[in-house]
Amino acid sequence: MKEGKEKIELIKEGKRLDGRGFDELRPIKIEVGVLKRADGSCYFELGDNKVIAAVYGPREMHPRHAQDAKMAVVKFRYNMAPFSVDDRKRPGPDRRSVEISKVSREALDPVIMREYYPKTAIDVYVEILQSDAGTRTAGINAASVALADAGIPMKDLVSSIAVGKIGGEVVLDLNAMEDNHGEADMPVAMVSRTNTITLLQMDGRLEKEEFERGLKLAMRACHQIYELQRTALIDRYSESVDVGEGEA
Amino acid sequence: MYKVVVPGDFISEAVSRAGEGTYVEEGKVHAARYGIVDERGEIKVVPLSGKYVPAEGDVVIGRIAEISFPFWIVDIASPYEARLHMSEFADTRDEKIEFGSLSRYLDLDDLIVAKVTNVDVMMRVDLALKEDFNLSHGGRLIEIPHTKVPRVIGRNGSMIKMLKEKCNCFIFIAKNGRIWVRGREDDMNLATEAIFKIASESHTSGLTDRVAVFLDSFRLKRAKGRR
Amino acid sequence: MGLEIVDDIRKDYVHDLIGSGKRVDGRGFREYREISVERDVIKRAEGSARVKIGNTDVLVGIKLEPGEPFPDAPDEGVIITNAEFVPLASPEFESGPPDENSVQLARVVDRGIRGSEAIDLEKLCIEEGEKVWIVFIDIHILDNDGNLVDAAALGAIASLMNIRIPNERYDLTGENTLPMRDTPVAVTTVEIEGNILVDPNFNEENAATSRLTVISNADGTISAMQKSGSGGLKEEEIVEMVEIGIEKAGEIREKFL
Repeated sequence: MKEGKEKIELIKEGKRLDGRGFDELRPIKIEVGVLKRADGSCYFELGDNKVIAAVYGPREMHPRHAQDAKMAVVKFRYNMAPFSVDDRKRPGPDRRSVEISKVSREALDPVIMREYYPKTAIDVYVEILQSDAGTRTAGINAASVALADAGIPMKDLVSSIAVGKIGGEVVLDLNAMEDNHGEADMPVAMVSRTNTITLLQMDGRLEKEEFERGLKLAMRACHQIYELQRTALIDRYSESVDVGEGEA
Repeated sequence: MYKVVVPGDFISEAVSRAGEGTYVEEGKVHAARYGIVDERGEIKVVPLSGKYVPAEGDVVIGRIAEISFPFWIVDIASPYEARLHMSEFADTRDEKIEFGSLSRYLDLDDLIVAKVTNVDVMMRVDLALKEDFNLSHGGRLIEIPHTKVPRVIGRNGSMIKMLKEKCNCFIFIAKNGRIWVRGREDDMNLATEAIFKIASESHTSGLTDRVAVFLDSFRLKRAKGRR
Repeated sequence: MGLEIVDDIRKDYVHDLIGSGKRVDGRGFREYREISVERDVIKRAEGSARVKIGNTDVLVGIKLEPGEPFPDAPDEGVIITNAEFVPLASPEFESGPPDENSVQLARVVDRGIRGSEAIDLEKLCIEEGEKVWIVFIDIHILDNDGNLVDAAALGAIASLMNIRIPNERYDLTGENTLPMRDTPVAVTTVEIEGNILVDPNFNEENAATSRLTVISNADGTISAMQKSGSGGLKEEEIVEMVEIGIEKAGEIREKFL
């Protein structure tokens, strides 16, 4: 986290600069199945973050020596479009995206039933089209929905959001302005059904009590996001549904 | 009427009936797939999408992808390739197949109908040819997601029966989502269009009726056009 | 394949032992392996430390060079942290560009130092907007027997605590020392069979599905956290891990910094 040189007052009269309360999410928009060629996909907006996730697979794993004889290998690529940030981002992976890809994959690993597809690869691609802090959490939310859309066997969906500290207050879902001038940032991902944390990172400075309060705040918001993810998936097939039967 | 579920959704407490597409945790059946709950008999979640994974007994349409003596390696529209041993031919003919001559029997890109005889723990898939296995002439291959296959067949085979009649085509549907259609050119076109319509609207109800209307209106149009 | 089977057996063994209240090397669940910190081991470096935690052996070296500041912080020095998992340290390490594990290690150590504001970056300004000191923190893994991050973080802050700013080498004048404002210490715990263990060794790391690193400061605040591994953790577990982290960091700080 960069520390703001000029002190910006991020909280005025108990409200944040964008008018939100401390425990308020930015608006969220979710669309399922937005890409034709991908096996599963999801477009996710969190405030001014616009991200898109695609899932390919399970498919044959290359190179062969990287195959796992017992389960599918999940690969996760988080990538920022060069135009997604104010200062053009040099294309391709950098250290930040390598780390985010790793922790995001690990946030999803606990729910993917990888044993169903030994020797295969499941590729998850997340593209950040527009960034306003919280892109990794938006990416995890999108990827989780895209995995379901691809028909991958999973035990649950994963939901993710960041909390942070700005102007001395613990708040939910920092935007870029708050992130740049705030005191701490803590992304969290969670399985809502079991309240299991699958991603936890933090940087900045937090008291132990603030951390505990922040974690609770994030967990509550993950439940909210989970409902939105679920609704987006259900609504895609909102018409009455029927199944056929029979043998070929 | 059926219910759409997402992974993790609670479905039932009838653990003993937990079937495909579900998992059991702490005495409860949950959805392991994004799909439609089917509680007739076993509790199943019929996925709305996903890749075909071969199981013993499945009849599939395969494409010869590689020749690797003494096997043909067969693409079966799955993350897993299948293999067909040369004895499939040697058994039926009284001749010895020489190294390098497999392509005389089946060549690259040939289409075959085969039955999955075995899938081992390493996901090696073995095939046996069906009678009338060779699909290489006079027809058309259509590929749809394997999850849509039950819809193209329809309840008690109602959909496929109607397709065959109204399109005047031979239609063979394999478990792996590949469909072989043979008939007159315009009949095949109609069947193709109808099958894609079924696949893209597979989650809606009243589909058989709508497909019937679609096929009839098409026939009518064509009849008028000819006049 | 052979290796994999051995791994599985070890995993079971680790789990069984821990289930019955023991660790492979006989330690208590809240007990670190023996730690040693050796300072100024590299003459050419502006600061260095070799940290051993049990068999884990990590060398941190710090170099300072004048360079350009970032445009958004013209009067601040720059910290660049890098970790190399050299093949000599473990059969799992391969030569080539840094993999995700080494990138993660470096970034977590970096965040701990940054978050604590241990380094007064403004003191590293040579000429505003033109020239500042770039602090390169290079983490060299020599032997990987688990818990690299605690060793690396300890090595980094120990090295930073007595760096000499090489003014003469670049014909500059100014302070030759840089007092640290804080002492961030990393403490890593894993969860196995419902137990929380500090300082996992290599086998324990492999047997655990998730681990949490907590980097905390002298006043007990937290400056970085990172969960890694393909498992999940419960809120109560995390809270306990953080408590242990802060407590253990205090002990390590008192003894070694």
